[in-house]
Amino acid sequence: MNKIVSVVILVVMMLVSTLASVQTARAEEAKMVGSISKIEMAADGKSATAILKDNKTGESVTIIVSDELTLDKFNDKRIVEGDEIRTKYEKSGDKNISKMFKKTAGC
Amino acid sequence: MRKSVLKILITALISGMSIPAVGFAADDALMQKIEQLSRELEQLRNQVKANEEKANKAAEMQKSQGTKSDAKEIGDLKNKVAKIEEKSLSKWLTIGGDYRFRVDSLHGSTVPYTSAIDTMKNLVGGFTGPAGVSGTNIGGSGSPTVSQFIMQGQAGKLFSPDQFNTIMTQYMPQAMAAMMPSIIPNVMNGTYTLQNTALTQQQSAILETMKAKVLPSVYRMQIGNVPGLLALMPPGTPATTTIQQAMGGFSPAQQATMMQALMQNFLGQNSGNLAMIPAYKPKNETLYTNKFGLDLTAKATQDITIHAKLDMYKAFGSQSDSTTVGNYFADRVGVFDGTLSHIPSDSLLNVDRAFATWSNIADQPLWFSIGRRPSTNGAPSNLRLNNERPGNGGTPALLVDYAFDGMTLGYAPDIDMLPGAYAKVCYGRGFDSGLKTSANSIKDTDMLGIAVIPVDTDPLRVWMQWNRGFNIFDFPAMNNTIFGNTAPAVNLGDIDWYGIGAMSTFKKVGPGNLNFFTDFGLSITHPSNNVSQNAGFQGLMTGEFFAQEAPTSRTGWAVYAGVRYDLPSKTKLGFEFNHGSKDWITFAPSADDMWTSKVGTRGNVYEPYIIQELNLKPISSYLSKAFFKLGYQYYDFEYTGSNNWVGAPKKISAIQPTDLMLLAPMKSAHDVYGTFEVKF
Repeated sequence: MNKIVSVVILVVMMLVSTLASVQTARAEEAKMVGSISKIEMAADGKSATAILKDNKTGESVTIIVSDELTLDKFNDKRIVEGDEIRTKYEKSGDKNISKMFKKTAGC
Repeated sequence: MRKSVLKILITALISGMSIPAVGFAADDALMQKIEQLSRELEQLRNQVKANEEKANKAAEMQKSQGTKSDAKEIGDLKNKVAKIEEKSLSKWLTIGGDYRFRVDSLHGSTVPYTSAIDTMKNLVGGFTGPAGVSGTNIGGSGSPTVSQFIMQGQAGKLFSPDQFNTIMTQYMPQAMAAMMPSIIPNVMNGTYTLQNTALTQQQSAILETMKAKVLPSVYRMQIGNVPGLLALMPPGTPATTTIQQAMGGFSPAQQATMMQALMQNFLGQNSGNLAMIPAYKPKNETLYTNKFGLDLTAKATQDITIHAKLDMYKAFGSQSDSTTVGNYFADRVGVFDGTLSHIPSDSLLNVDRAFATWSNIADQPLWFSIGRRPSTNGAPSNLRLNNERPGNGGTPALLVDYAFDGMTLGYAPDIDMLPGAYAKVCYGRGFDSGLKTSANSIKDTDMLGIAVIPVDTDPLRVWMQWNRGFNIFDFPAMNNTIFGNTAPAVNLGDIDWYGIGAMSTFKKVGPGNLNFFTDFGLSITHPSNNVSQNAGFQGLMTGEFFAQEAPTSRTGWAVYAGVRYDLPSKTKLGFEFNHGSKDWITFAPSADDMWTSKVGTRGNVYEPYIIQELNLKPISSYLSKAFFKLGYQYYDFEYTGSNNWVGAPKKISAIQPTDLMLLAPMKSAHDVYGTFEVKF
């Protein structure tokens, strides 16, 4: 049993370390982890602006979210101000358009 | 002051100018004087203007300095507020919880069977009674007296290992040998009448067990040491002849008859030892319970969070589990480590969960979590419990619902095609056997699992799970059960579980949203050669009481499906169904069911329910709510041993009244329940 546990943990750790070294972000995309300081829904309800405070730099980044599943979570309060978010966004002019917006994983 | 002077001068000047010029005649001197006065007046005006400008400037400067000072103060204040906010409780500590009042009306129906526990008590009562074998020298060696037998006992235990050993190797062989003189003559002359010539399946197996475990002790006895036996032997038979040697003089048919007769005298229908229980209908028409939970989440440092859940769960008018446990199902015999806070017991606030999670390891969506885990109430049970989806936590409710102490390593990659995907390796310890000594060789019981959730979104969540239980114990550590105080005594083997399921939410299907799920589970046992003495030589899903069976791997399966329709009126209508096959076994004793964990049922369970949330504004948290729930569970049991991995399942309809069983076989059960719940 102990051997099996050790082997499994070792394999997972190796997998994780390999994945960690791979740069997955594309040039035009940015990723960040930060806490939501503000969420503002658009009047038409089809988009929202979320301001995140970058965990690393402390800077505030404004991200526009328009995917329906995330907007549902804003509406249902499943994602609220104060939540820590892992996001991937595309820089388009002076706007940051969310490509992925989810709570940081962990339990 | 200067303004006043100026005004006086101007007034004087105007007054002077208003005097008719004709009155004073044109006078050069006067004219010069006037011009001089005019110049002086102009000078005064300029001076006044200069003074006013100077005064304005001074005022502006003063004002400007004041504004700067205010801005600084406001800035300082903001910093202070930010600092206070940074350290404020609300920034790092979240408090929530839930309260539930529940009323259950429980009705069940058993089939006739024989209580193994009471039968053992009868047997031992016979051994230790006035005409019993205890303290005698039958067979050549003295057996413990009643007092000595009592002294072998352990507080809280039905039979201690020493007592059990005495029963099996001394009392039973002595009693069996003592019966022989009354049986042998009739067997020899062919007049012995068996109570039943056809043995039940279980009796045949019991006979085999007795041959293996009791008869060797009998065979070793010398006939001279068994009162009345030597006289039945042919003249000249030495008293030192063993019973085995003596039996050699009988034909195989006579030997078989004698063995069957001995077994029937012990455990036959007319032996007087069987504690036969006719069919009955247990019920508790009103069981009221209180459940209170307190959830704490503390952000200790960046990326490290501590979670705790403290729970109290008790029945009205009781400070023990006696009102909700019994002798029907293995997961409801008593409260133990994995079910604490999930079965009504007392008013103590127990630690149901306490774990630390390190997220964003190496800036990756990787986490490690350790502690008393959130391995209860997993998906899809969140629908009927009216909870939020469990997120990355939890385990599929069909396979695992057990409060584990353990750890998890998880990874949630960003894959566009697989939104919400994550995988995790989970480990839990179900039992720690303590220090190993020559008297303690039992191994720890562990659980290892791998969960892969390829998609986790509202419209679709898919889960796949494998987990293995290593060194499964026979009885968990429990107190004051029908078996007395129990503890793991032997490792019975391993069990593999496989599961795959999916749940989905379709928005705006008609006026409301439609949630549904389906889940499939498979269990495969790997029994060791060990059996549980405490359970009458039953092994991992093998054997019956006193009817040991060779270890055999058993494969079971289960399905679990359900639907819930959420109306805009906050009414939620749900229905669930689950089926477990004959050999299905799960690891879900903590499920929120009163009779027994429904997902572990070997048979069918139907559960319709309705939830009505109150349309009240949440205050304590965004997700706080209050609701009523009314539901009904109907269990249709097809095989015995739901949620029990000790012993082989038996078809309910095939149970004989003489079948010895540790738990009462229930063929059906009903639970009509209602709740009032508040989540805060």
